[in-house]
Amino acid sequence: MSQGRAVKLAALQAALAAEEAAVYGYGVAGAHMSGGGYARAYADTVAHQRARDALVQMIIALGGQPRASAVAYQLPQAVRSAADARSLAASLELQVAAAYRGLVATPSADLRKLGAIAMQQAAVRATRWSGQTQAFPGLANPG
Amino acid sequence: MPQTGQPTPSRRAVLAATAAGSLALAGCRGIAALGPPPKPGPAVTTLRAAITAEERIIAQYEAALTVFSGREKATGPLKSILAEHHSHLARLRSVLVVPPGLPTSPSPSQSPSAPPAGRREALAGLITAERSAAARLTQQLLHMPSATAQLMASISASEAAHVIVLDTAGTA
Repeated sequence: MSQGRAVKLAALQAALAAEEAAVYGYGVAGAHMSGGGYARAYADTVAHQRARDALVQMIIALGGQPRASAVAYQLPQAVRSAADARSLAASLELQVAAAYRGLVATPSADLRKLGAIAMQQAAVRATRWSGQTQAFPGLANPG
Repeated sequence: MPQTGQPTPSRRAVLAATAAGSLALAGCRGIAALGPPPKPGPAVTTLRAAITAEERIIAQYEAALTVFSGREKATGPLKSILAEHHSHLARLRSVLVVPPGLPTSPSPSQSPSAPPAGRREALAGLITAERSAAARLTQQLLHMPSATAQLMASISASEAAHVIVLDTAGTA
């Protein structure tokens, strides 16, 4: 396997792992939400599922084997209330932003663009949940 | 690793801002320790453009704050976003290494932004500025050294998120 392809595959696999963890985490978060919060958690879950499916296709197209998702993930925090759930959703998004950072370091302009846009979308979703912004989302690993 | 503070040399893309390259850097052991200086050129020009864009957006926030004076609910979020832009500027500047004897910035005098007509105009102007800054960085990072590209991607993500806060400030 060429070195360039290995770099791309490693970055795509890292993004895929974060998307799988986000889908799992949103399942937990959504269970503690109702009304508008639940609707947004549902919409964000769908966004992460679509991103995951796109990454799987890209990994296969590059001749790689998409890493299987885990049965369960260690969540960064306990969730007992809607406030906990919003905070979990925000931290899942920042982890997703950090995971896409690797794509921005690949030599491929297409993957860089994909990574940068995914980082923007994750930061936007994190801010919708937390009301807070960060100077460097995804740059220092929040987890 | 701490999120703020000095980036470590290994994580830091150092761009030498001179066409004279190695000649101008010959006496500088600090740079030499990081290896031969990367070729100056488009990356330096792009980085300088990103720095100028941050300076402009900072000037625009400062002008906007004047029309919100006394309204704590709006100035609080605006000031915290402004602080993040100052962090962006500092980190972008830290990537650009200017050898002694060369000007630190191609445009040393950043003219202050004209004050917006009103609060609504101020917020709309900031939202437009944040959106176009994020879009510009997304293009600029495509051909930058990896670590600088990651920094620019993170800044673009921060700017995209600022729009959410500005939108909320507009409806509050």
